[in-house]
Amino acid sequence: MKDDNTRTTLDGHQLALLNNRFDGIVRAMTNTLLRTARSAILNTARDFSCCILTADHEMLAMAESLPIHVMSGPDLMAQWMVRFNPELRRGDAYLHNSPYHGNSHAADWTILVPVVDDSGRHRFTVIAKAHLADCGNAVPTTYSAAARDVYEEGALIFPCVKVQEDYRDREDVLRMAQVRIRVPELWHGDFLALLGAARIGERKLLELLQEMDGEELAAYPAEWFDYSERLMIDAIRRLPSGETTTSGRHDPIPGALPDGLEVKAHLKVDRDAAQIEVDLTDNPDCQPCGLNLTEATARTAAMMGVFTGLGSVVPSNAGSFRRLRVRLRENCVAGIPVHPYSCSVATTNLSELLANCVVRALAGLGDGHGMAATGKASPASTAVISGTDNRPGRGPFVNQLWLGFTAGAAGPVADGWLTILGLGAAGFLRRDSIEILEMKYPVLIHSEHIVRDSEGAGRYCGSPAAQVEFGSLDGELTAVWLSEGTNHEAIGVQGGENGCLARQYVRDLNGELSEPLGTYEQVTVKPGERVVSICSGGAGYGAPRTRDPDRVARDVQRGWVSPERARETYRVAVDENGAVDAAQTAALRSG
Amino acid sequence: MSESRLTFAADTGGTFTDLVVNSAGGAARLYKRPTTPHDPVTGLFDTLGAAAADIGASAPELLGRSDLFIFGTTLATNAIVTSSTARTALLVTEGHPDILLLREGGGRRTLFDYSQEYPEPYIPGALTFEIRERLSASGEALTALDEKQALEVMAQLRAAEVEAVAVCLLWSMINNDHEVRIGELLEQELPGVPYTLSSRINPSVREYRRASSTAIDASLKPLMSRFFRHLEEELRSNGFNGRLLIMTSSGGVLDAEHVAETPIHSIGSGPAGAPVAGRRFAALDGGGMTAIVTDAGGTTFDVSVLRDGEIPTTRETMVGDQKAGYITGFPSVDVRSVGAGGGSIAWVDSGGMLHVGPMSAGADPGPACYKRGGDRPTVTDACLVLGYLDPDYFLGGEVEVAIEPAAGVIRRHVAEPLGLDLNEAASAILTLATERMVTAIEEITLNQGIDPRRGLLIGGGGGGGLYCTGIAHRLGCWPVLIPSASAALSATGAMLSDLRATYTATELMSARVFDRVKANAVLDNLHAQCRDFCEGPGAGSIRSVITFAVEARYQEQVWEIEVPLARPEFASDDDVAALVESFHDTHDALFAVRDTGSDVEVLTWVAHVSCSLQDADALKPPSAPGRSGAGGTRRAYFPDLGVIDIPVHQVQDLEAGRRYPGPLLVESPVTTLVVDARSEVARSENESLLIYPRDQRFLQVNHERR
Repeated sequence: MKDDNTRTTLDGHQLALLNNRFDGIVRAMTNTLLRTARSAILNTARDFSCCILTADHEMLAMAESLPIHVMSGPDLMAQWMVRFNPELRRGDAYLHNSPYHGNSHAADWTILVPVVDDSGRHRFTVIAKAHLADCGNAVPTTYSAAARDVYEEGALIFPCVKVQEDYRDREDVLRMAQVRIRVPELWHGDFLALLGAARIGERKLLELLQEMDGEELAAYPAEWFDYSERLMIDAIRRLPSGETTTSGRHDPIPGALPDGLEVKAHLKVDRDAAQIEVDLTDNPDCQPCGLNLTEATARTAAMMGVFTGLGSVVPSNAGSFRRLRVRLRENCVAGIPVHPYSCSVATTNLSELLANCVVRALAGLGDGHGMAATGKASPASTAVISGTDNRPGRGPFVNQLWLGFTAGAAGPVADGWLTILGLGAAGFLRRDSIEILEMKYPVLIHSEHIVRDSEGAGRYCGSPAAQVEFGSLDGELTAVWLSEGTNHEAIGVQGGENGCLARQYVRDLNGELSEPLGTYEQVTVKPGERVVSICSGGAGYGAPRTRDPDRVARDVQRGWVSPERARETYRVAVDENGAVDAAQTAALRSG
Repeated sequence: MSESRLTFAADTGGTFTDLVVNSAGGAARLYKRPTTPHDPVTGLFDTLGAAAADIGASAPELLGRSDLFIFGTTLATNAIVTSSTARTALLVTEGHPDILLLREGGGRRTLFDYSQEYPEPYIPGALTFEIRERLSASGEALTALDEKQALEVMAQLRAAEVEAVAVCLLWSMINNDHEVRIGELLEQELPGVPYTLSSRINPSVREYRRASSTAIDASLKPLMSRFFRHLEEELRSNGFNGRLLIMTSSGGVLDAEHVAETPIHSIGSGPAGAPVAGRRFAALDGGGMTAIVTDAGGTTFDVSVLRDGEIPTTRETMVGDQKAGYITGFPSVDVRSVGAGGGSIAWVDSGGMLHVGPMSAGADPGPACYKRGGDRPTVTDACLVLGYLDPDYFLGGEVEVAIEPAAGVIRRHVAEPLGLDLNEAASAILTLATERMVTAIEEITLNQGIDPRRGLLIGGGGGGGLYCTGIAHRLGCWPVLIPSASAALSATGAMLSDLRATYTATELMSARVFDRVKANAVLDNLHAQCRDFCEGPGAGSIRSVITFAVEARYQEQVWEIEVPLARPEFASDDDVAALVESFHDTHDALFAVRDTGSDVEVLTWVAHVSCSLQDADALKPPSAPGRSGAGGTRRAYFPDLGVIDIPVHQVQDLEAGRRYPGPLLVESPVTTLVVDARSEVARSENESLLIYPRDQRFLQVNHERR
């Protein structure tokens, strides 16, 4: 903690006032982006984030942003902004999506706006980051798993390029995007939403400076960081000290990663020093595929693993981050990537796998800590779909689906959060509306429901899988997915069972299922055919036979667990009314 | 009061039941008695008893002189929150049984708090049934309704002994043939079991929200029809021969039998009255028609806004938890509620940061000063310690309180951990509670695209006077208006409400290929429905108003914004161009983006009709009887002044029009107004209080803005 006696100090209520204020500004940015965006991935699924950084590029406020977008990344990007553009002026806006300069992956377009006060001083940076429906990749997906390098990936890369000056567009830059991105009109609407969100944030911060620029505001970031650091120290002191290495396996991808890939995280908790270290350096070098993490997502994977498994709620900002050391190395699949290796999939697969290694490692410290593994990214129900809409006045379309992905991991005090959509989304990314999808795109969502007996059994259960079937209304529909968890399931802890495997098929016109399809596929279905997706489910925490029998009975009543499974896996007898048979259960459990 | 005709408006809140009695040609009076949760009608009659005693007549005599009884109630909300609604089944399109379970995602409160349990669906899976049928987005039947399968489902419903049925099929708002047929089959197979069709209750896109509206509505039907029947019987058997109207979530009133058929309209019916009252008081005293209406209660602080005289609505009202609760999916008056009130508990966390709420000491044990076992400091305790509340005249002397226990808990739980003295700690609690209110105001004004500095701040609720000066300083919205009826804003609003209905039609139309003939036909049809309403429920009203609007968006957006139509006809392409221009302006004002290169699409066509049953302008603002001449001074603490003696005035003792500079207190039996040294207060001719900044430059700026 910094110890500076000359600094203005804020009392607890001044801190709370300013904290409310900054979070409120981030929410205003979020609201603008949601309401004005054009693609369903943004205006319905909310696959975007907004945040505010200090002039020193430290994370100040992220409100309800997605962890994978903001825990690390905005800080690195703002550093590059200043390095590339030492003289920031009011009215500037920078477009940044370079995986080699601090961004998460090329599909996450980020607008950075430096907030410059009346005296010309750079005071804050506001950031709006959105996952585009398309980013110009060679294959119609924003997750190019098989791309051997950034050239094969094909995305347009903007390493912090000025797109507005004096609040006016630099149209030459925008024209570059217009000739490369699929469905450019839609892209432009989404781009305006992104820009609007950043400008709203800038406007509100300038108002704040107008209103109360002085010692109190100047003191706030350091005070807020110290406060957060104190909470982090408290939280770490509730953990036992320990050191452990945990590994996870990624599915094979034919042609790119034929044997799959093992990654590991080394976790060290030093209770006395109140410090946690995650070391990711002992991992393979960058791979000739799209799975390489970026510096931002490698760091974030470790950070979100720790914050998820901590078991205490600590504000995530530069202050609490001081107690967390992440070791990365250059040219590492889970580290700092080297150009031209591709990082197209850096926000989901390996980052989720590593974050889950960290939460499992924390669980390994003792019952009551950490969490089981969350179901794996990203099932066919989250495929990028594309094709041509033959309805009057329509045309080509592209969008990522966010349907049935129920993957929540069990923790030490609660069942998995059904709609978690991965640790990096933390349940703050939303689901699609079936009607909005069918209105905007020529698709039919035939079904979406929970699969019985698919939960990760435990004292607390991981979420059961969801099954989704979708196809086209007319014409052909192309779907590209990267369904990790087809070969390796999410892993349970403290005696909890693993989650179920992901599966995907095509159902033909006669209703017959194809052979199981692979982890990374591009399929085109004709009218009447369906893509069938069963997601990877969440894993369990603690032994199933220690689960509260009333919870088992509830699961039976709602059709998630069969009476047979209740008896065999949980050792709970449920009568025909769905209530626990206490005597029989006691007998089963005494065995 | 003479033998003149009377109108009653009552609001059953969580803590108090408020009653406003208006006498034709005379002044209105307001009364307050505790709510009786086991049977709200008992509390209502207690309040009627208080009115009868004051007026000098029996309750039946008073009721016999009335043509109109308007009622607002939180009963529906409470039934949902306490899971005491009917055993309800949900029928959905085959393949989609988990619409209510999966929600729209979201629902988590805190980013890394994995101790929160996933919310149960409003209707459990065991009572959700799939119907074989499927429509496309254009309303074409891809799979015809399988009536045989539907009948099998109905046999299961009978076996499951369901008490109500909700039906929500995909795309039914485009084509409701299947839903209507299911309704017919239900009447035949489950006679007497109430049901709700999604295409009737909430014909809008987004299956989760529509299903949620439908499920909530159906589940309330048995309870609410019973309750309204009971209420009506009690009123009738006590001499009432007039018309019973219910306040609705849209800020209007409807006949009780109508609301019993669509009980979702009664959710939030109390709070929806506040902005209606606010509009009246803004017109009387404020001069402007953009206002922020606040209602500071015991556990929550409710905010709503008026935008150019209009009361904005939202489709995102949640019942219960703001994140994990149940969405009504229904346009209702946009009222934001934060857990910051007199009972909110102040606490310091392990990092040394002060919090106020969301936990509340409630009515039991209540704040520490109640001496009923409350051992945590509340906002009320802080106000007592600061000298703003009079321990001998708390709620007009109805509740006995003591300062010592309040001071003790503040010292122990706030002052010592933060290293502050007692007064500083109490002041910090009040400031932070005020800041949470400010945040709520900022969020709703922002969402509605209003600059709070352009708005008149209306301080309502029993606690309004304690916070509103601080809020005004913080937001820069001057002057502040405290209406004489501030303690019963909702009931006053109910008294002022019109009969209202909204009719909508969904017809997607692009501005670039606009079909004026079709648009005019849609509008004609809506117009006809409005006229039917005027001639039906609205018959005999003194005035009726019909307005038209569209909900439109840029092409490919999915969240529409409402844009008013000057008239219900597109006579030429100029009218279409005017609509497009008006859309660009509205979008720009709300979101700082104007995309003139994009097509504009109209999705929903809207007609609002309202019929006034009485002349609201003639209503004199109600007031409560108070004590006079109890002036004097009190020791109070202000952060910039320390502890000083300040004058205490009774409302009726203030000279109308004269400005009294702070610091001072103004008391009435139901509220206390704190005026700090930077502000001054005046009483208007309408018995309202107006607070101004002493530095008049602030006010000047605001008048220019306004």
